[in-house]
Amino acid sequence: MASYILRRLFFLIFVLFGISVIVFGIMMSFGPERRAAAYITTPQQINAIPEIIKTYGLDDPFVIQYVRWIKEISKGNFGWSRYGAMPVWDALLTYLPITIELNLFAAPLTIILGIWLGTRAGIHKNTFIDHVTRITSVIGWSLPTFLFGLILLMVFYGLTQWFPPGVLDDKFIREIIQHPDRFTAYTGMYTVDGILNNRWDITLNALRHLVLPVMTQVVVVVAVLVRVMRSSMIEEMSKEFVLTARAKGASERTVNLLHVKKNALIPAVTVAGWLVALSLQGSIAVEIIFNRPGIGQWTAASAIALEMAPVMGMCVFLAIVYLTTNLIIDILYAVIDPRIRLE
Amino acid sequence: MKKVLFSICLSVFLVVGSLSAFATPKDTFIVADIGLPESLDPAKGYDTSTLGALINIYETLITPKGAAADEYEGLIATEVPTVDNGGISKNGTRYTFKIRKGVKFHNGETLTPEDVVYSLKRSMVMDPNGGPMWMLLEAVTGVGNTRKDGKIVPGIFDKIDKAIWAEGNKVIVQLPKPYPPILGILGYSSGSILNKKWAIANGAWDGNIKNAAKYNDPVTGQEPLVNKTNGTGPYRLVKWIRSDQIIYERFEDYWGKKPQIKNAITKIIPEWSTRKLMLQNGDVDRAFIGAPQYNEVKAMNGVKADKLNQLSYVGVMFCQKVNTTANPYVGSGKLDGKGIPEDFFSNINIRKAFAHAYNHQEIIESVMNGLGVRPSSPNIYGMPYRIDVPIPEFDLAKTEKYLKGAYGGQLWKKGLKMTIAHNEGRIERRAAALQIAENIMSLNPKFHIELQPMVWSDYVGALRESRFAVFIIGWGADYPDPHNVIHPFMSSNGTYGQFLNYRNPEVDRLLDEGIVTAAAEQRRKIYERLQHIWANDYIGMIAFQATEALALRDNISGYYKNPLYGPSVVIFKDIVKD
Repeated sequence: MASYILRRLFFLIFVLFGISVIVFGIMMSFGPERRAAAYITTPQQINAIPEIIKTYGLDDPFVIQYVRWIKEISKGNFGWSRYGAMPVWDALLTYLPITIELNLFAAPLTIILGIWLGTRAGIHKNTFIDHVTRITSVIGWSLPTFLFGLILLMVFYGLTQWFPPGVLDDKFIREIIQHPDRFTAYTGMYTVDGILNNRWDITLNALRHLVLPVMTQVVVVVAVLVRVMRSSMIEEMSKEFVLTARAKGASERTVNLLHVKKNALIPAVTVAGWLVALSLQGSIAVEIIFNRPGIGQWTAASAIALEMAPVMGMCVFLAIVYLTTNLIIDILYAVIDPRIRLE
Repeated sequence: MKKVLFSICLSVFLVVGSLSAFATPKDTFIVADIGLPESLDPAKGYDTSTLGALINIYETLITPKGAAADEYEGLIATEVPTVDNGGISKNGTRYTFKIRKGVKFHNGETLTPEDVVYSLKRSMVMDPNGGPMWMLLEAVTGVGNTRKDGKIVPGIFDKIDKAIWAEGNKVIVQLPKPYPPILGILGYSSGSILNKKWAIANGAWDGNIKNAAKYNDPVTGQEPLVNKTNGTGPYRLVKWIRSDQIIYERFEDYWGKKPQIKNAITKIIPEWSTRKLMLQNGDVDRAFIGAPQYNEVKAMNGVKADKLNQLSYVGVMFCQKVNTTANPYVGSGKLDGKGIPEDFFSNINIRKAFAHAYNHQEIIESVMNGLGVRPSSPNIYGMPYRIDVPIPEFDLAKTEKYLKGAYGGQLWKKGLKMTIAHNEGRIERRAAALQIAENIMSLNPKFHIELQPMVWSDYVGALRESRFAVFIIGWGADYPDPHNVIHPFMSSNGTYGQFLNYRNPEVDRLLDEGIVTAAAEQRRKIYERLQHIWANDYIGMIAFQATEALALRDNISGYYKNPLYGPSVVIFKDIVKD
């Protein structure tokens, strides 16, 4: 297995090269003037565009610009993000924890709930439980994230004031900033850092800010997993080994949970893995509505402004995430089903 | 077991939720905005978000007085120089500022005249690309840039060095020619005063003019003072959490009156619904709103909506020679019913036809909730020397008459196809474009006008290539002087004028004269003539002068409604919270 993993990691370099050339090519299809315009914010600066093109070499041939970008990357310089007002690498490190924190709670909940509901729906195919689960998950999937998030915010913040937007109350943010000696940001996630600093009040407060975004994320995403798990369960239940198990006198619970569910998990693991990878690019709607400055908000704003450096940085980052996720999924296949060998 | 688990989840949900601690304290003021600065270096920042931050942290020699756009009061300078008090020389080229004593920087150092000299020179030496320093450079050196074609303009740093100096407790600024807007420029955030010792220690220009080139135009984000501040303003920066929030704290050693607000925060909250709920719950004291939300805010309990007149306007501009090469915005580029020729708008009757197809009242009342006015020329309301010149009234009969007569009747017979462009996200601009297009198309089925909303970067790129025959664009004044609002649109070298291909030697001559004329009466004549030319030549038309909407909790007072500042600029020191 080790040589398989090493081989896959080696091929990662070529895939990243291919992706970077394609994305760079797409960005270069916008003329130098348009890419230079990303550097200006007011009409007063329009006359600075020729200077900007010269300064950043935006009219150089593709190869020269690409090689320059690669050289800078190799030095650890991913460029500057105007929207973030910081280097791209710093922006990634700043925004990523906020996105990860949301998914730290949303992803396990999605996976547990999705597999549980899908299993139940599959076992109770065409019964009341199945119908309710399917209808609910279809509604969840069909709901625009933006709308659902807004409804939750209006009810649980606008009306009840229970769960505010943002990541932490102002008084805690101020305390952390003014007394850096009292609170160390180990991970950039307040829920985790609160525990590590023994500040449970901060963890609790951060959790309060997480309730609504997590709910939104889970309800919207869980439907995919429910449907995959359900159909996978139904397919496995029709196979002969299930009949054999039953003929041998295994209880219904043993058949369903030990034999059927284990085999049905393979497609579900694939989908769950992709959902986790997908969530790392951030949910733009959730982040905007609940005012969580995560990676989704940053990427969207940078892309709209045609900011080359953040877009390229994000593409490379996402390529690594997706390729690594694929690798982990492949390894999990072998763990779940010993018949699968990685060679 | 499941019931127990459910009960635990529900209890946690309710307990966590019940820990409500809302409504900001009386000594805390929170603003919900939609943008934050890109840099806190005064030489770099050139947008209202940056101005909003710097105006609380740093101080300039003088500043606009309260809500007045063209009246100043001293800050670092004890008084505003005038000819009468001897602060301005009779020929209008020398300005003398008496420096206030006992002013402390946030790091505890005392301000000296040398700090003032250093700060102004440093900002000009740095002159970052696309930054605000062109204004001061133009006034002080006669050249609006330290670089040309990527190289330093020979002798520019020596000019900077010799233009400003300290004499005892005074600072002298010597101009090559009279430049009346200089006071407004020095009152902008790019004229912020830094602590020389601190700035040098933090990597800013070392004060030696021979080394100036080394510090010129630093790479974006690598300006030494990008995130470090040390001003004399009433608030010191506690933390700038980039693209999230800025936290300020009252500076207890401030030389002026002690502000009521101790803690101030500006947060970026891009979504209006979220901002609205936070304002409603009292979690923010002031929120950014657009004109379409004005009536919505007025109906909210505990919240007040206010208006802020702006020295900014939106124009509908006609390009008199369009680049027709592979240009989809002018169709075939010929008068064949499938496009328009390159010089289509060089015909004044066609410009008149389009101008008479615009109904400003409808846009201002129906789309902008009444938050706007229509000035008759680029010298908008609030500017000196403004006069009313004839405005092309909405009259489709006139539009029809001019279009029927154009090209000897060929235009009416063959038809046209073209695009009106505007930048995305501005509903008022889209509505104006839509209205003009629909009105003209209603006259002849052979007239086809499309709308092209574009993201800013695409828009600017195409504009610079003169691809738009008609485009809608805005302009905000940097300082309250007619030169700053007329030049961009009317000069053949103006920010937009250069892409209109409108050339009028008289206009260029008048603009060149106007900016170096000190005598008020002479200037009045120059700018009045320019306004008449605007009306006679139909260079473009002013769609509206905007009035921004403000939304605040109803216990807030003491805020200024200065038309020079956008809604993102909040001066915390005078805010009163009951």
